[in-house]
Amino acid sequence: MDKKASSGNSIVTSAVTKITDNLAASTVVAGTVVLAIVIGIVGGPSQIINSVVTGGMWALLAVGLALVFGVMNVPHFAHGESFMVGAYVAYFVFSPIHRSLKDNPNAFLSAVAPFLAILAAGGAGLLLGVILERFLFYPLRLRTKSGWVMNAFLLTVGISFIMTNGATLTLGPDFRGIPRYWDVPPLQLGNVRIAVDRIIAFFIAIVSIAALWFFLRRTRTGTAIRAVSQDELGAQMMGINLNFIYPLTFALATAMAALSGASLLFMFQAYPTVGLKPLYFAWYVVMLAGLGNVVGAIVGGFIVAVLQSATQLFTFTVTVLGEEFQIGGIAWEDVIPTFVMIIVLLVVPSGIFGSEVKGVQEQ
Amino acid sequence: MASVELERKYNAGVLGVVASGMKRIGVSPLGLVLLIIVALLPLVPPFNQEHMVRWLIMGAFLAAQAAAFDFTAGYINVVNFGFAAILGLGAYTSAILANKMPFLIVQPGISPWIGIWIGALLAGLVGLGLGWLTLRLRGIFAAVMAWFVGIALMGLVRNLTPLTRGPLGMNPSSLLDTTANTPYYYIILIMMLVVYVSLRLVTQSKYGLAFKAIGQNLDAARASGINPTRYRVFNFALSSFFAGWLGGFYAHYYGSLTPQTLMHTSKTVEVLALVYIGGRGSMWGGMFVAFPFVFFIEYLRSNLTELPGLHLVIYGVLMILVMIFYPNGLAGLYNWGKEKIASFRS
Repeated sequence: MDKKASSGNSIVTSAVTKITDNLAASTVVAGTVVLAIVIGIVGGPSQIINSVVTGGMWALLAVGLALVFGVMNVPHFAHGESFMVGAYVAYFVFSPIHRSLKDNPNAFLSAVAPFLAILAAGGAGLLLGVILERFLFYPLRLRTKSGWVMNAFLLTVGISFIMTNGATLTLGPDFRGIPRYWDVPPLQLGNVRIAVDRIIAFFIAIVSIAALWFFLRRTRTGTAIRAVSQDELGAQMMGINLNFIYPLTFALATAMAALSGASLLFMFQAYPTVGLKPLYFAWYVVMLAGLGNVVGAIVGGFIVAVLQSATQLFTFTVTVLGEEFQIGGIAWEDVIPTFVMIIVLLVVPSGIFGSEVKGVQEQ
Repeated sequence: MASVELERKYNAGVLGVVASGMKRIGVSPLGLVLLIIVALLPLVPPFNQEHMVRWLIMGAFLAAQAAAFDFTAGYINVVNFGFAAILGLGAYTSAILANKMPFLIVQPGISPWIGIWIGALLAGLVGLGLGWLTLRLRGIFAAVMAWFVGIALMGLVRNLTPLTRGPLGMNPSSLLDTTANTPYYYIILIMMLVVYVSLRLVTQSKYGLAFKAIGQNLDAARASGINPTRYRVFNFALSSFFAGWLGGFYAHYYGSLTPQTLMHTSKTVEVLALVYIGGRGSMWGGMFVAFPFVFFIEYLRSNLTELPGLHLVIYGVLMILVMIFYPNGLAGLYNWGKEKIASFRS
């Protein structure tokens, strides 16, 4: 780490200075760490591992959301539908292979099949992203003179509406799920047992985020994407072709959502409205971290996941008029994080890590 | 100014006074004719069947929602994504107040005629809070914040089972003792008119101008001495008040409430689509579209039962097409046609 810091471009040091410079961010991060420790004491280490795994997935989803907002100024409401497409593609690739494997077992294929399914979902995500950008956002961009952010947002709302109902129409409202990808016993770490699927899902999230990071920082195209997010006009004057950058960015974000949908198929089944919950958790993350802030989105993913497991773990009952109201538990996981989010946003309206995106200032 | 003088001259006489009065509340002669037609529809043969009257009620209910939604979306340019949840709050409040059954922990048994107003007031209060909450936030942040509040409200209704029975839903008592639909139709029609006319009166006053100014450019509006705080909070509160009021009607007409069918984000999107197809900022556009749309959609739904969700896909496709290719919507088309005719005459 030191070696990297001395070369002057360390991710870690820049993230750390960003956090320590910012009172709101450091308070929230410190609070999250304390909360995570309390969760670990009360619920045992498996709870912490659970929230780390979900945190990775929220981070993967939120990074896509932040990227699309940062580069294209599109507040993406149909991100959950990319998640849904990923889940469906993975299911339809994986289950026939799985069925044929039952008749003639093949150790190699059964280890590889899940990766095939997840990669296929990623590919489908790339394709979907390019199609959506070309056929919907491109014409909208040509015609919009003012209020692009709001128009783009409402366009994604329409896309989301069409895709969920289109899925109901073509595939029906059935739940299609799998119990697990890998038929192996859970891993034993001390006295904690973790399902292999969860570990691999976490690694997929980490590897995808790292790959994206490398792509954005170390390649010419990635640099071009960052240039566009900083100054669209300036980037154009330097000869960057926006008609290439926009579809690419959108495709990357969609692919990341599809990847997380595919790798979480064992947790969320594939059904038309599966995307809603991942969508609003991803939105919690980007609103908390600051719209368009990619680094913030990674940290934010874990914060939201810790908050979520705290809500599930700590329950208390309030007695009103002789009737017991239970507060907390799994049904409250969208209510209590929302209240926390509202309070945080009241104090720091542009998110704890701040947002430097120009579109935010646009009405 | 000159045109105003001219108008006054032409508007002399009894008819002229009526016409200018109607114009004040936002009803053009054409609009008046349409209103009378809509009001007489349940008496005319193909529409006097009970299921058709139900569709008409749905149409008027959606039309009123579209007006209240457009008051925020079209004027101050903030999309209230928690609209359906606030409507549901009004509905649930009124339903709980009217409850006499022992399965809930409270049995106030208040008449729905009073409960609807209390529900509306509570919704208005929440709208006031929401307006205050989103005050410092701009366009997209405010929309997402309203969405979060909507999700939280829906979650609360779902989880406070001793009060709301959660996902099982409630069966509130009816507003009237009759099983006929026509009386309800006239109630919702009057409610629709009240919503439209009162919102129209507000937008025709100096408030409307301030709303438009805030919606177009917040900083410029602030620089010209408009205090955005007051106007935005007022706008949210009024829009939410009417949403809650309409929710009360829904509760006591349909007699069945679940969080999923009433407060879900997709319900907001349905109203949003109507407003956009009708023309944002016109207020009458969405209302006009609501009636034919409900008929079209219900017709599809009852005839193509093997294709569930087709009507919603059509909804979404239309909304996207309008948004990309004709952002002014139907109202824009109407104004364009009117200008064409005017220029043709002169």
